[in-house]
Order: sequence, then C-alpha cells, then structure tokens
Amino acid sequence: MFFADPRHRGDVEGGAVGYFEDQGLRIRLSAEVRERTITRLRFRAWGCPHIIAAAEAVCRQFEGRPVRELEQFETGQIMQDLAVPVEKTGRILVLEDTVRSLGQAIQDRLTTTQE
Amino acid sequence: MSVDADLIYLDYAATTPLDARVAEHMRRVQSEAYFNPSSNHAGGRRSAAVVKKAAEQLGELLKVDPATLIWTSGATESDNLAILGVAKQREHRGKHLVTMRTEHKAVVDVFQHLEKQGFDVTWLAPDPDGRLPPERFEAALRDDTQLASVMHINNETGTVQDIAALGAICKRHGVLFHVDAAQSVGKVAVDLATLPVDLLSLTAHKFYGPKGVGALFVRDGTALQAIMFGGGQQRRLRPGTLPVDLIAGLGEAAVVAAENIENDLARLAVLKEQLLRGIRGIDGLHINGQEEGGYPGILNVGIDDIEGESLLLALEPVCVATGSACNSLSQEPSYVLRALGRSDLEAQSAIRFSLGRHTSSADIEQVITIYRTAVEKLRNLAPECVV
Repeated sequence: MFFADPRHRGDVEGGAVGYFEDQGLRIRLSAEVRERTITRLRFRAWGCPHIIAAAEAVCRQFEGRPVRELEQFETGQIMQDLAVPVEKTGRILVLEDTVRSLGQAIQDRLTTTQE
Repeated sequence: MSVDADLIYLDYAATTPLDARVAEHMRRVQSEAYFNPSSNHAGGRRSAAVVKKAAEQLGELLKVDPATLIWTSGATESDNLAILGVAKQREHRGKHLVTMRTEHKAVVDVFQHLEKQGFDVTWLAPDPDGRLPPERFEAALRDDTQLASVMHINNETGTVQDIAALGAICKRHGVLFHVDAAQSVGKVAVDLATLPVDLLSLTAHKFYGPKGVGALFVRDGTALQAIMFGGGQQRRLRPGTLPVDLIAGLGEAAVVAAENIENDLARLAVLKEQLLRGIRGIDGLHINGQEEGGYPGILNVGIDDIEGESLLLALEPVCVATGSACNSLSQEPSYVLRALGRSDLEAQSAIRFSLGRHTSSADIEQVITIYRTAVEKLRNLAPECVV
C-alpha cells in the first residue's frame, strides 16, 4: 500500500531538508515546520520497494506531529510494520540517518530564527 | 489473452502453463496406466508402452532414436548427469573442460563443483550481445579438453548460440559437446540428426509440459558415468521408478510443440516487435542481448537509474523476471548481464519479458502502458544526487 500509493512523494519548496546517500540508496526528506510542528513532510527515494514504503511510512507517521517526535524514529518498529527482511536492515538505517539529518536541519533553522 | 485474467503473464522462460491436451493425456494415463513400468506383469507392460510411446514422440521432435533418450527430473538433472557423467568417465584422458560465463546455474554450479574436484575449466566470455564467436571457442580447446558445454538459447537474454558451428569444431577436436537446450526444445527446431551435438538437456515445463520431468539425449557411442545409484532402470544411468504420467505429458507436449513451432515463432516475432516499438523511445532504455537474430520469445531490457526490485513491483500485475527465475532469491545482479559488460546497477534494473503461446497483442499494449507508467513513477520519486 505504501509503495503503491506514496502520497507523500515530492518536495516541500523552501522547507528544511534531510538527505542521505549510502549503499546505493538516495533518500531525501523535506519538511515545513510551524510552531515546532511538522505541518508538511515529503520524500523522494531511490531504492528498493521497502525503502520507498518506509519513507512514505515515515511521512505518514510524523506529518502533523511535533518536531521532537522525530527522535522517536525506530528502525525495528518500521521493519516490523512493513515486514522488511532482516537482510535489508542496513537500508532502513540509511532512512534513519536521513530522518536524523532532517531533524538537524530543522533544529538549525529554529536556532537561526531564534537568533 | 492471458491464461489468468488477474495477471499478465510474460514469464514464459521461467515456466509455461500446462497445455490442455497434455493435461488430458496425463489424466488418462494417471487413471489407466499408473503401474510401475518395470513390473513384469500386464499392468507394468501397459505403463512401459506409454513410456515407449513418449520416447518415440520426443524422438520424433528431436529427430533421434528414442533409445538415445534418458528420462530425468528436468534440465538441471540432465545437465548434472551430462557434465559430471562425461567428466568422470573421461578424466583419465584429460581434465580440461570448456563452458561459458553466461550458462544457467544448473551448468555453472556443476563446473564449479568440478573445479573443486581438480578439473581445469575455461570460462569463455561472450561478446557484448551475448554471442560466442566460434574462433574464440576453438582457441580455448586443448589436447586435454574432454567436454564443452554451451547453451542453445540463453534463458535471460534470448541470445542464440551457433551450436552447429560450435559442435563441428568440437567434432574436429575430438571433444564431446553438451548443449543445455532447456529454452529451445519445443520452441525452435532442434534437429539432432544434423546438429553435431553429443549430449542435450531439456525439460518439459518450458514447452507446455509438466514440471518435474525432462530428458537427456546421449548420442550413440557416448559413454558417461551414472551420478545416481539404486536400480537397473535406464541402463543403470538413471535409476528410479519412472514417472509414467509426467513422461507421457512430455511426449504429448512434444507432439503439440511440433504442430505449433512455426506458428508460435511467427507470432512471437510480431509481438516482440510490438513491445520493443512501444518502449524503445523511453529515455535511457537499452537492450541486453542480440538486437537482431535472438529468440523472439525473450526480450531483456535495462533502463538507466531505475532500481530493479522497485520496477518489478511497480509492474504488477505483469509477471516478468529480473535476471533468472532460479536466481530470484538472490539480491545479486545478474551474472549473465555482468558478463555482457553491464554494470551492477544496469544489470539490476534489467527486466526480462518472455512471451509465449497465450500472449496476445492486447497484453503487449497493456504491458507497454504499465512499463512506461512504472518508469515515470519511479523516476519522479527519485531525488537528485545532491541536496
């Protein structure tokens, strides 16, 4: 379902961006943040169906949620929810790195705004 | 139209649906000739007659004496018997063997096993289109070469080897020549009365027969050792109770094939051209294998910057393959395409469309649309390489 209907595919123009590239995968998350809430979250991904589905799942999980909840991203949970084969653990870790990258980008923007 | 209304089946190189006539024949045999053909009674003789008839039918298709055919469980077993059987039989004369890097795993793995047993194997690389130039083949043969094995039609790319030329070379050098014909018997003419082939493997389920049965042609005068032991059946070369219904199915499939080969080839050529025309214009698309002259039932295409597993899923309900079906459990890029010079990424994005008797023009039109849509979807999903 997540792979067949990735409704969060795309970009948030002017949004904070997290990007990671490893193991032949490329994942990009972009977010619009208002009052420390992720109001829009979009992804682009190049990789296997599990990675595309996982990126969509991340967007569905965190869109509309407080920014701090990004820290709660759990590799194990998403692997279980999407029945990701254990040999693809490394690929989900690339997604985790992308989420962290996005979290950092959002923090940097918030810090800059406060200054 | 496709056999199953929910799917668009374009994976005929993996397996084919059982022909209705074959199924009916098998059903009759299952109820009327279920006896052990080795039994020395009227029932056994009835089953033995069914087996004899099937051998005659297959012999007619291949233009060989039925007595030269050994029933096996399929092409994998036939390949094992041929290669191991000959290598072991002739090792006192020499331990050099020749094959290609692009052979099916059922051949590659046997040669790798023989390497570990101390045999010296030369692995020939094909040209970028998959073909093996006869002069490269001849240059590899040595005084101590005992056996060469080259497949007739490649299961991944549809590349057709010139087995007549390669066989003639083997004959001149006194080297036995084995051909894995799993993708060609029943689909193209294979005339062993004229082809200089000493051993040939085939399997029924690739030409609308049942799974679990195949045969090995062993030309008169070709000695080989058994690799299975247990009983006296089939000149002790392949013991075990013969599966009469499966063999009957293979025989009937051979008859049906003979009636349909010309027509099938003509239809497939038209359908393949339709498919190619429909997708050729997609940016970054390339053909793996022969552009001209390959088997018309197989088209292998790769596409730049598309991940193969995602493409396969995005193509559903079209049933196709990335690489060989036998390798579907592995995430590794196809070694056949790597041998053709494709990069890991290019090999991994390859899709093999294999057409068959039930493929229709309407199927092809749908596949073209689905393929184009899938490629566009995945390209639109991909990020640029840098933030």
